[in-house]
Amino acid sequence: MSASRPDNSELQMNAYFDGELDAASARVFERRLANDAFLKAEYARFLSLRHAVRSIAPYDLPSDLLARIASTLDASSLGEAARPAGVTAQATIQAVARANPLRWAGRSRQRSWSFRALAAAALLGAVISSYVMVTINRYNLRQAIASQVVASHIRSLMAPQPFDVASSDSRTVKPWFTARVHEAPQVLDLAPQGFMLVGGRVDVVGHDAVATIVYKHAAHTISLTTLPPGQSVSDRAIAGYNVRSWDDAECTYMVVSDLPHAELIAFERAFTTESAALEYN
Amino acid sequence: MFDEVFLPHMAEAYRLAHWLTGNAYDAEDVVQDAALRAFRGIKTFGAVNARAWSLTIVRNTAYSWMTKNRSKAVVFTDDLSVTEQQQIEQEGPQGTRVETPEEIALFKADAEEVQRALVKLPEQFREVIVLREINQLNYRDISEITNVPIGTVMSRLSRGRQLLIAILGDRR
Repeated sequence: MSASRPDNSELQMNAYFDGELDAASARVFERRLANDAFLKAEYARFLSLRHAVRSIAPYDLPSDLLARIASTLDASSLGEAARPAGVTAQATIQAVARANPLRWAGRSRQRSWSFRALAAAALLGAVISSYVMVTINRYNLRQAIASQVVASHIRSLMAPQPFDVASSDSRTVKPWFTARVHEAPQVLDLAPQGFMLVGGRVDVVGHDAVATIVYKHAAHTISLTTLPPGQSVSDRAIAGYNVRSWDDAECTYMVVSDLPHAELIAFERAFTTESAALEYN
Repeated sequence: MFDEVFLPHMAEAYRLAHWLTGNAYDAEDVVQDAALRAFRGIKTFGAVNARAWSLTIVRNTAYSWMTKNRSKAVVFTDDLSVTEQQQIEQEGPQGTRVETPEEIALFKADAEEVQRALVKLPEQFREVIVLREINQLNYRDISEITNVPIGTVMSRLSRGRQLLIAILGDRR
């Protein structure tokens, strides 16, 4: 796994190549580049790759797509009495059409849209409502998961200690998880940022054992639960506890604490920064 | 409002949708669907970056569209398959390390070959390469559109480029 992670100089090169390094780092990198044959060769490959990718003929917007979108929009708001936006949408499209007269030869065909628009509206209505149903289901599921995570946090606060393994050393906590949950989480020490690692515990969400890392901030306990990806919820308070969650490629992280949201945002920032630093060093 | 926010980016929106879905028909459907979503959701636009906002909608629409309309589910994984890893390891940095500077020729691949190589890339790499090289967005915007941290954008770009170089280098 770590073997396939790009190393730091590789990332620096990408950042330099994309003009994303600040001036000072760029100068430092340029000096390295000048003295490193391998890096130089790599940079040459990057340049020719960019040239090659940018020489692919661009996909051009089909000439009648704008018109079709305009009629879709008109159709979708047939029920609304006033629709200034649609009027301007048409105006904009006509302006675009005037600018490209040749590509708009097929436009007159689009004039007789009223019946098709009605059919399209009905179809769109069906599509949208099924989409909304799926979204609502997913929303309920996520809400239920967040509630379970909060319940675990509350339960842990009632126990003599909010963790199963006590350690401020991430090298102790991580292997402890490895033996207990399917996917051992990243255990980061965030003490320099004001969040003290105190231990870890296993929570059960649904029927799955998940890893929760426990931090202290002043007298407050923070539970950081690592879930399979795609379970994040918007910021909310459940049973008086604030919940914040975010995703990365591998998992969803959910923090629960009685700290205010601003502190949870600070925690997330500390965590993601540290996580990125760890990943690329 | 919609006209100022979404419409100006329609050509780019189509280009991105075409790259993500892999063909023109699906791209048209996705752009239409995205336009409708943008039109309905225009109130959520925070007046910060119309381009990133529009492309975010297109990108998300493309993936939900593909999930719904294709039997093969959209799989997101940051890890490469074993073969892909081997490919990088054998033909990527380590394979090229032994080349002398004269051998490090520029790609002879023509545009069509490059296009095929890009289509072959796993989609989390393809999307960042397309957003960076074709839409020419900066890391912050790419991070916003793909909803991953900038660090992940960087590592995906890096790995995506290595993969492309490996695929194209193969043909030399």
